[in-house]
Amino acid sequence: MSTPEPALQVVALTRTFRVFERRRGLVGGLRDLLHRDYRELRAVDAISFRVAAGEMVGLIGPNGAGKSTTIKMLTGILVPTSGEILAGGRVPHRDRIAHVKRIGAVFGQRTQLWWDLAVIESFTLLGKIYGVPAAALADRIDRLDAILDIGALLRTPVRKLSLGQRMRCDLAASLLHAPGLLFLDEPTIGLDIVAKDGVRAFLRDINRQFATTAIITTHDLRDIEELCPRILILDRGRLLYDGPLDRIKAAHAGRTRLMVDLLAAAPLAALQAIGGAAVTWEQVGPVRYRATFDRRVTRPAELARALLNRFAVSDLQIPEPSIESVIRRIYAEGAVPPPEPAGAAPPPEGGRR
Amino acid sequence: MRRVLSLYTGFFVQSLKARLAYRADFLSELFASLLATAAGILFVVLLFHRIPDLGGWRREEVLFLYGLSLVPYGIFNIFSINLYEFADRYIIEGRFDRLLLRPMPTLAQLLMERSRLTALQEVAVGLGVALWAGARLGLAWSAVDLLWLGVVAVSGAVILLAVFSILASLSFFFEDRIGVNAPVWNLIQFGRFPLPIFGPWLGAVLSWVIPFGFVTFYPATHFLGRSAFRTLCYATPLVAAAFALLGLAVWTLGVRGYRSTGS
Repeated sequence: MSTPEPALQVVALTRTFRVFERRRGLVGGLRDLLHRDYRELRAVDAISFRVAAGEMVGLIGPNGAGKSTTIKMLTGILVPTSGEILAGGRVPHRDRIAHVKRIGAVFGQRTQLWWDLAVIESFTLLGKIYGVPAAALADRIDRLDAILDIGALLRTPVRKLSLGQRMRCDLAASLLHAPGLLFLDEPTIGLDIVAKDGVRAFLRDINRQFATTAIITTHDLRDIEELCPRILILDRGRLLYDGPLDRIKAAHAGRTRLMVDLLAAAPLAALQAIGGAAVTWEQVGPVRYRATFDRRVTRPAELARALLNRFAVSDLQIPEPSIESVIRRIYAEGAVPPPEPAGAAPPPEGGRR
Repeated sequence: MRRVLSLYTGFFVQSLKARLAYRADFLSELFASLLATAAGILFVVLLFHRIPDLGGWRREEVLFLYGLSLVPYGIFNIFSINLYEFADRYIIEGRFDRLLLRPMPTLAQLLMERSRLTALQEVAVGLGVALWAGARLGLAWSAVDLLWLGVVAVSGAVILLAVFSILASLSFFFEDRIGVNAPVWNLIQFGRFPLPIFGPWLGAVLSWVIPFGFVTFYPATHFLGRSAFRTLCYATPLVAAAFALLGLAVWTLGVRGYRSTGS
């Protein structure tokens, strides 16, 4: 396989902000009028990575990790303090109009459509803005309708759409000009489970059909699991991890948790008989117990079956770890190898070496 | 070029459509703005009930100026709403990012994304008043006069757009509401009257700092045959071009500032 030009190349990207520290109270507010105190905040700190054409990469991290700032620099909205971005051979902020012509962007919390226009009118206008010929636009809308099922919504004003419908239309809108590179900032935020599944299925589809490269930020681990073979973990502006999701999950398997509520309290020793030494039991409520175990050694299903056989169980759950807890653990225990040096990120599945 | 033109008209027509989606709101806005226009004209009429002339300017001359001033002002107002509300809507509420994501100049998007067709009433009423006053003054309209009328309308609108674009750009640097729109907007009113009546100091401000004198008064002296202002009168398109360039330069600078400070 020849070495393709990366869709995106980022080297030592850094962004600092001057943050205005507000004083407290009315007197403080008046003093703020006269003199402001600023603090320097390093929102993104020397991150480097590369994305190959056709890849889907998840950008994750807790609030304030620098995800949005990174996306804004990659889309050309913000100018980096230092470092380099090269997307399709262009520097986004320097060549804004040419850059945005070939990218698509969806910000989950904010629509790109015109509130008072019917969806189809927004699409037609976007077609004009991006210079898509009318015939090509109609064809594109047809193809997007086939996967997103938006045909019935086209005549509705955007303000009358539900959140899920709006998101589908926003996704379609971001793809009208057939961008090679797609940025999705929280594309499933606020959606119900059915709508989330729909959006994920759609993103997999367009990645397959159009080989669109995508960078996705999300708080939802399921988005990552279903879409992104490769993830970048940011924390406090730094790139903590760049590699396959599987490696993170493997590191996490050792601390799988199971919560069980019994109908009546039982002695801890009775529970400790289940699963043997590989499982640690704690009592966390009057009738609630927590098991911590290694998923690779003890199967959650076996543990659940044993519990149901021996106890009167009222509730049982195996909570998904949150991204925050994953990151905390990466920090605390060094559970995964640190990111490799700049530009030498591990290749994605079937990647180049 | 044709593609760009079709894009811009398409953009603009859609914003009008969006505006017309709220019919009751549109009608009440039209009514309110007609009322405001009428009040302004009434003020001039009542003024001349008390005084025979205004520093050597007759009632019809002042009414002519006032009516003519509404033409560039009305054109400006079709596009002005987003400039007035730029700090709130685009900087504080964060809509500006969306403009940066589209392959079009940001100022063009801003001006055309929201428009007020009701402002056309100002153009119509203004023309009516100017024609009526002109007839009373015995003005004859040659082809050159009509051409000059077009130049005045466009130049004046451009000057107003440039001034308020510059004011809007300030919010890029301060990322806050800037309370300068209202005082400057009030100055427009002065440009509707003969500048000499305000004395040298204010006259100079309105000519060289905030050039509202060029929106109506100076170019209108062409019609009124007041040759004392001849040079400034015909400099109007140049002043408009200069301020347009200045406005674009400040805007560009502001966008650059935003993109390196915004969060």
